[in-house]
Amino acid sequence: MMRPRKWSDPGWMLAPTTILLIVFFIAPIGIAVYQSFFSWDLLTPPKAVGGANYLAIFKSGELLRVTGRTLFFSAMVVTGAMSIGLALALLLNRRGLWFSFVRSAVFSAYVVSWVAVALLWLWILDPDRGIVAKGLHVAGVSSVKLLNHPDTVLPVLAGVTVWKITGYAMIMFLTGLQAIPNEVIEAARLDGAGAWSRFRFIIWPMLRPTGTFVGTTSLVISFQAFDVVRVMTQGGPARASTLFVYAIYESIFMNLRVGTASALTVAFFVVLLSLSWLQIRAWRQKA
Amino acid sequence: MTVSRRALIAGLGSSALLACKKKAIGGRQVARLWFCYGGNNRVVLLDLVNKFNELQSKAFVEPVFQGDYFESLAKLRTAIAAGVPPTFSHVLGEVIPYLSTAGVLEPLDDYPGARNLDFVKALAQHGAFENGDKHAMVALPFNRSTPIMYTRKDMMDEYRLRAPQTWDELLSAAKRLYRSKQDGLRWGFEVPIDWWFWLAMVGQAGGRVIEPSGRITLGGDAGVKALKFWQSLVHEHKVMRPPPGRDFNAWDAANTDFLAGRAGITWTSTAYLRYIEKNAKFPVVTCPLPGDVKRSVPTGGTFFVMLKDVPQAEKVAAWSFLKWMCEPEQTIEWATRTGYLPVTNTAINRLRESGYYDKHPNDWVAYEQLEHADPWPWSTTLFRIERDIVNPQLEDAILTNRSAVDTLREAREEAEEPS
Repeated sequence: MMRPRKWSDPGWMLAPTTILLIVFFIAPIGIAVYQSFFSWDLLTPPKAVGGANYLAIFKSGELLRVTGRTLFFSAMVVTGAMSIGLALALLLNRRGLWFSFVRSAVFSAYVVSWVAVALLWLWILDPDRGIVAKGLHVAGVSSVKLLNHPDTVLPVLAGVTVWKITGYAMIMFLTGLQAIPNEVIEAARLDGAGAWSRFRFIIWPMLRPTGTFVGTTSLVISFQAFDVVRVMTQGGPARASTLFVYAIYESIFMNLRVGTASALTVAFFVVLLSLSWLQIRAWRQKA
Repeated sequence: MTVSRRALIAGLGSSALLACKKKAIGGRQVARLWFCYGGNNRVVLLDLVNKFNELQSKAFVEPVFQGDYFESLAKLRTAIAAGVPPTFSHVLGEVIPYLSTAGVLEPLDDYPGARNLDFVKALAQHGAFENGDKHAMVALPFNRSTPIMYTRKDMMDEYRLRAPQTWDELLSAAKRLYRSKQDGLRWGFEVPIDWWFWLAMVGQAGGRVIEPSGRITLGGDAGVKALKFWQSLVHEHKVMRPPPGRDFNAWDAANTDFLAGRAGITWTSTAYLRYIEKNAKFPVVTCPLPGDVKRSVPTGGTFFVMLKDVPQAEKVAAWSFLKWMCEPEQTIEWATRTGYLPVTNTAINRLRESGYYDKHPNDWVAYEQLEHADPWPWSTTLFRIERDIVNPQLEDAILTNRSAVDTLREAREEAEEPS
């Protein structure tokens, strides 16, 4: 075990990260917790209201609705990105120019900015002026529920998010696939294992750490969803696409409800912390 | 790479100089104006600002675009909180009681000539708000409007319809104008799902959103009646489609449908008058909104406000522009090139005398409707009720056809929560 020359050396070396953590993570969370006990609009003096903000977001159902919506959205994004990413990785894990081209094309969506992706899909899916709406109009279908109906808007936004991040999931799974020794798969094949058996008993168990990683990152991305909501729906229709981060943004910046926004932020932190804990626990148990 | 001390000082010096230049360009005092227009309105406003800057040599107005009304307001409030507000801006009428009570707006009564401004009462602070005259004047009317009904003359003649005077007449006209998918879909009526239009119907049904006592009722039975009527147009009679999109996207969608012949009648703002007249391939006729137990329209649009926490010299420069904008020439130019209502009586009299309203009867309808304009309550929660509570609830109730009674009860409960 290495020993520091001076007792203060580890402290100095950790200082930059510690300072960044305090300034950008710990202090803001502390401030959010403090402000969540006030009613404040930034312009008039804050009024202490105790736990009224928490009670209000809980009693009005806002917290439950936003959490439910975000979890539903996350479930769609994580499942979609993982399954399509894995399927593409299995299909494209071959040599050849054509496969390289397709891999690059699928991955390219990941490097495009979120706003550009949202604008592109809005151009396609806009209920009035979008390519889909115009095409359907020509085909004699008067209207289709996509971005303009509370029941369909979230799956559509999840679809756009999956489209954007699937390339990343695919690359991760490809890396995992290429790390599996060929001999193991060949041995299984010689033992008479079919494609499905090879996948179920050899490939998938060996890909599990990659799967956990892709699942965690997709979960984080889906919980942070903001740009697609801001550009494509602004949280509507009827708040049906108001996800957690957008709800916080709208509370503080559009409605200047600092107390409510802070209470939502604290709740968001607790939900994410719980999910991460559950995920790490599940991963450790499997490991 | 290292930066010498001299280079650093030079850099800081030039930054300071730039900052000074911002405050005074060529010896002229700069006043920053935050505005929220795109399209034609932006062109007209910038033309007027340029004209002002060329006409005199003391003040220089620097216009800065800040997005739509809501984005601009969010930025304005954040800038005020951060201590870096612009000199002046224009804001939605509904937010003025809140900003005024928060003490961030400059009282304008004592500026030279302020008390002699000849505003149309329904459009100015003293008439647009209940007891508006009992508060210091903090807002000058700028782009003011009302909701109005747009019809197609050719279609109304073809179906031998007159302008609907009541909700029942509106429904029967919408039924007559509706055309099914097989015949080339056309909605009989279209209006953005926005609290402004609902508010008009609440007033027409004899209700008020906030009682004089300050109690938030959201119109009580009248609010429910208005919402139910809207729901019936969409779900029961199926003669109206709720235009898609949030905020002004829905307004644009309604305008587009009307102009493309996909909607027979629409309600939108008088602000779109010039735009619709210019882009319609058919004769457009405006009519006052129909009534229920009475006629009623809210006023809309924005007021100029000056921020309190800016240097006095900037305020003086901003005031010279504001006063100039209230002169009949500028008021007339702004109104006739955009469709907004002229805000001074002198401007209206001049337009009337010049025969302008004979040539543009649609503009006169907009002005005449002011007779039925109901003032806004002077309430600090007005904007929050609109933006945060009623608008999303209305959208939900119309799209999903949920109970109007439950919707408004929930909205009332939400309005009573802490902010």
